[in-house]
Amino acid sequence: MKKVFIILLISLICFSVFSQARRPTIMVVPSDQYCISNGYSMEFESMGRTQTLPDYTAAMQNDPDLRMVITKMGEIMANRGFPLKDLEMELRNMQREAAEIAMLASSSSGSQVAETPIDVLKRTAGADIILDLSFDIRRQGPHRYITFNLRGLDAYTSKQVAGAAGSGAPSSSATPELLLEEAVLSHMDGFNAGLMRHFEDMFENGREVNVMVRVWDNWYDGDLETYFDFDGEEKELLEHIEDWFFDNTVQGRFSLADASHTLMRLEQVRIPMMRVDNRGRERAVDTRGFVSDLRRHLRQNLGIDSQIYMRGLGEAWLIVGER
Amino acid sequence: MKVSPRILLFMLIMFAFSEIACSQARHSRSDRRAHYSSSYNYEVEITGVGSDGTKTMKVWGYGRRVEDAIIQAKMNAVASVIFRGIPAGHGAAATPAILRDPNAGEKHADYFDEFFSASGKYINFINLTTDGMPSGQDRLRMSRPRGYKVAIYAQVMYDNLRRQLEADGIARRLDHGF
Repeated sequence: MKKVFIILLISLICFSVFSQARRPTIMVVPSDQYCISNGYSMEFESMGRTQTLPDYTAAMQNDPDLRMVITKMGEIMANRGFPLKDLEMELRNMQREAAEIAMLASSSSGSQVAETPIDVLKRTAGADIILDLSFDIRRQGPHRYITFNLRGLDAYTSKQVAGAAGSGAPSSSATPELLLEEAVLSHMDGFNAGLMRHFEDMFENGREVNVMVRVWDNWYDGDLETYFDFDGEEKELLEHIEDWFFDNTVQGRFSLADASHTLMRLEQVRIPMMRVDNRGRERAVDTRGFVSDLRRHLRQNLGIDSQIYMRGLGEAWLIVGER
Repeated sequence: MKVSPRILLFMLIMFAFSEIACSQARHSRSDRRAHYSSSYNYEVEITGVGSDGTKTMKVWGYGRRVEDAIIQAKMNAVASVIFRGIPAGHGAAATPAILRDPNAGEKHADYFDEFFSASGKYINFINLTTDGMPSGQDRLRMSRPRGYKVAIYAQVMYDNLRRQLEADGIARRLDHGF
């Protein structure tokens, strides 16, 4: 009995020590303003209007200053335990992946890899936190100085979670490369302090995500305003879902930004970082895992099927009506 | 002797003025000593962007002798980046404090007593960039209490210091919990 107790205690300690939350991916991306003002852009016609979009591949291939700044930032972030996702490699991987999928065929039947239009659309470079970067080498008489602007943007909530901006000291002798390195060194500690605040807030109040509930067009049995009976209470489906969010978010924190009979847009949903699964293991929670619980609740208690559509670590859609 | 009412009124007004002026900033010698030796009294100014992982600053210290003031200045340099951070200046952005908790000093009092002791770890993280005794405007002689206020130019090994505090469990790593 004593042995069993000790083993149980050790395994509990192991779970609590080694279980870790899901680490957000971070990638430096030159801002639209930087790309377009430096000529790294492409134009195309859409609905009769000319749109100008940044050309990241051209920027990475032709701008040594940009590469130098990204490398320096990557080095600092790796030292802090957060290696950055590299934009250039990501773009290259995407091109190779597309070519491989087009060429891949089954050896027995010659069948190609199944890919829906959504899979193709989702094949874009992305990260959970985007470091939106722009800088400019300016002149003031014989002196040169750097203006630097770095914003940490949560890709799902579109909130700025950290930032650093300012101008360096003017110098007539330092090379632009040296001034750029100085700008990165000068701003990264302040930027990382902002990032740290964001992570501490996440562990204290839960990860902030967005959830959208939608309805399949061919669900004839009802919509989000149809009454369902659960736990002796007859309420609209929308209200049952709201109740579930209240019970399962950290401190009941979420806001229903928009609601109709076909749509619920839930923002600032604070989901727990960790949870214990059915086998007693403590596991990291992402939006998919969180929304899966809602899906299970709807299936088991209200008899409604649904499907989850993932939009990354921080956003998921639940489409109710059928799988 | 008869004093005219006009002179009496003038003297009264002068007395009232002198009382108001003197009552505003009169600190005793012990008050001033407490101010100089306070662990919260850092006078630090960043002097530029340091090389990778370092911060360069001008920092002041107080002491009965110049040597004591230099030692206090070194401690102040390290303490300022741990507890308070350094405001921006001379082209360098503001440096955030390594410990974000405003009460971290009190919470880990035993650790920091040892850290800032005579042979404590703090000295590992200082690269003194001025050699010899400070002079001129960087060496001020005080009369009450008797002593010196001196400034040194120091380079603090910021990244090494942060890593040390993380390893000792005082500061949290950026990837803590992930």
